[in-house]
Amino acid sequence: MTTVGRSINHVWRVFATGFVFVLFGLGALVISLTMFPVLRLSTRDPDVARRRIQRGMQYTFHFYIEVMRWLGIMTYEVHGVERLREQGRLVVANHPTLIDVVLLVSLMPEVDCIVKRGLWRNPFLRWPVIWASYIPNSEGEELIEGCADTLRRGHSLLVFPEGTRTVPGKAMRMQRGAAHIALAADVELLPVTVTCDPATLFKGNPWYRVPSRRFHMKVVVGEPVPASAFRHEGELPARAARRLTQWLLAYYGATESDATKHESQTEKSATANAPMVSALS
Amino acid sequence: MTVKVKSREEILAYLRETLVELFELKPEQIVPEAKLYEDLDIDSIDAVDLILKLKDLTGRKIQPQTFKHVRTVGDVIDAIESLMAQSPAA
Repeated sequence: MTTVGRSINHVWRVFATGFVFVLFGLGALVISLTMFPVLRLSTRDPDVARRRIQRGMQYTFHFYIEVMRWLGIMTYEVHGVERLREQGRLVVANHPTLIDVVLLVSLMPEVDCIVKRGLWRNPFLRWPVIWASYIPNSEGEELIEGCADTLRRGHSLLVFPEGTRTVPGKAMRMQRGAAHIALAADVELLPVTVTCDPATLFKGNPWYRVPSRRFHMKVVVGEPVPASAFRHEGELPARAARRLTQWLLAYYGATESDATKHESQTEKSATANAPMVSALS
Repeated sequence: MTVKVKSREEILAYLRETLVELFELKPEQIVPEAKLYEDLDIDSIDAVDLILKLKDLTGRKIQPQTFKHVRTVGDVIDAIESLMAQSPAA
């Protein structure tokens, strides 16, 4: 591409990215007022409605991804997609970009997600999240129990164990919530690796700072692993959760020494400053 | 049940033993200055297990508020000390 060609392409991708953000926002509003109520009313059975609404989410997100591809801002590839269609698993993924959830949900016909609990007070989105039986991001035991419960009913659940997007250039850190969920429900974990090249829409990167070229997302679905493999008999889940989390970090290529190095730094996050039992009160 | 008041050293020893058993920490990590979250990687779910164990030590029901401002091992010792100094709960 010539220099002029490149800068035209750059301007186009900034415009297209902005357009997609507007599309996501307006789309959420429109489908909350049209598709979701219609799907909810299409049956008396709330569980059938939940499945139809989750399917509706898949199609909507698939449409978004195809729009982004068609606009020339992204390409993508998926390996092992058939394993994402099996139910009753805890699907765990790393979280490099803002659109990981859009891409992953577009590949899964039925999956429960953890969503900001503020949405339960949003006049438009409140009903869709209830009908889809999504789980509010409450804290501690309450969240773990809610998630384990949906898995015990045979649903699949998507979780990002880091709890937030990865910060590029820093060692990956994970909360142990995902491990606790898998152990409590005694299900298989399905590890999914998401990569984005060049990096974009990562934490702290504004949407208009588009990458040097169209970004490529790659999803690789791993082999399922039973949570029980990490549990020794007669042991509290706290220890097994630590082992499982270490295994996951290693799976995503974050070595143990990276993790310890990071911990020994004195930088503080919002959670680090929280009193230890804030979740209890 | 009568629980006799323990010294800070005794409480620390108990905490050390408990934290090693519960969370696979190394005994030498458990010092009064150690921060629970940053240094020992104890999260809010672990805190529930820990408080249950402390109930065994003190023989009292522990209100979560007691641990609201607890951030270090030393803070836990302070909280246990003040709990045990109170007259036995009715």
